Amino acid sequence: MPDALSRAKSGDHDAFAELIERHEGMVFSLAYHFFNDRSRAEETAQDVFLQLYRSLGTIDSDAHLLFWLRQVTTRRCIDQARRVKLRAVSLEDVELRATEKWADPFLDRLIRESIETLPDAQRAVVTLRYQEDLDPSEICRIVGMPVNTVKSHLHRALQALRRKLEKHS
Amino acid sequence: MRKLVISTVLALLCAVPASAQKINLDFPGLADRAEEVVDITLDASMLRMAAKFFSNKNADERALREMIGGLEGIYVRSYEFAKEGEYDRALVDRIKTQLGASWKPLVTVRSKKRENVNIYANMVGEKVTGLVIISAEPREFTVVNINGPIDIERLSELEGQFGIPEFSSKEGKRHD
Amino acid sequence: MNLENDLKRALRRESPPPGFAGRVMQRIEHGEVQRTRPAWWRAAAASVALAALLGGYTAHRVVEQRRGEQAKEQVLEAMRIASEKMRYAQEEARSIGSHD
Repeated sequence: MPDALSRAKSGDHDAFAELIERHEGMVFSLAYHFFNDRSRAEETAQDVFLQLYRSLGTIDSDAHLLFWLRQVTTRRCIDQARRVKLRAVSLEDVELRATEKWADPFLDRLIRESIETLPDAQRAVVTLRYQEDLDPSEICRIVGMPVNTVKSHLHRALQALRRKLEKHS
Repeated sequence: MRKLVISTVLALLCAVPASAQKINLDFPGLADRAEEVVDITLDASMLRMAAKFFSNKNADERALREMIGGLEGIYVRSYEFAKEGEYDRALVDRIKTQLGASWKPLVTVRSKKRENVNIYANMVGEKVTGLVIISAEPREFTVVNINGPIDIERLSELEGQFGIPEFSSKEGKRHD
Repeated sequence: MNLENDLKRALRRESPPPGFAGRVMQRIEHGEVQRTRPAWWRAAAASVALAALLGGYTAHRVVEQRRGEQAKEQVLEAMRIASEKMRYAQEEARSIGSHD
């Protein structure tokens, strides 16, 4: 039986839903860790998959699909961050954070909030490196930057995070 | 406990073209000991060439093109080392001694454990015509020298705005 | 504190709220998005036309293009480094000021 990607490309909606289920965690998490906002992350993730549906004809392998999703998600996050500097916090977010306060270790929340304060490029690079375990040569192809620039962003992001976390410790 | 010494911070100043001093940024042997090196030398002609490649349609790139338009040079030497103690902190003083009377300290940050930063501006009257930034960390040494009229306030706002291209035709590009 | 391990843990993948795939499919099935075929034929025609125009393009121009793009990248990197150091110094200055 052809794989889910081939079937989805032929117009099989069930197969496309299977692709979503397979990759929704990765896409949602990239957006969530970038914005530190679950509702914004869901909105972004939905848009990414809608875009994928439009672009299925250009995807030619599972590896390409993974690369495409990482690239499109990251760039959407950056573009949105550039356009919308201020955002309203939804009540859903506030309630969720109230429970997360007890469910998540304090340090994890502090780390995510610190990442949120990083410049866009550093935030993207850190998320790709530590959520997806990608090395700079893979990250540079996703974000379209020279590899030394990626390394520079990573280095400065870690410096900035260390400083912020040391201030709180 | 960290010690902080702050002198002054200057705000935005208008630019008047004037020749500024180029600092000697040769540090023999440092690159060989470093794990990572950033070495950037851009004179006036290279800056004019680079300016042509900044997009007019992108507000951030347009702003940056304007910023570098009047500059005579940008020079960066940055060395990252595997462990502490790999470079002589006296390098900082070696650079400072090259700065003449027209160079004024803007900010000095001194910390025993973290980053020491010295920022100097070359002043002609009240106009900034050059900038030197010296950063000394336990495992990294960085010097930036910008010659020409520079907008200091605008410069410090730039970080994070650049590096990732606008979301455009590169979407979905094959990874191989 | 092992920052890298802490980052890996804090940035572990999480699931979206339940029913995520269903919500996306609903939007597709309600006609919110149309599939488009890749305009490969248009891209192919453009490539042929460009190749014909570039028949007289000299290698020198290509080299200049590459140099210019490299110079632009270097400007971006230099300004990023300078901006980062300026911001760090300003933040330290502000934090001292707030403690006075």
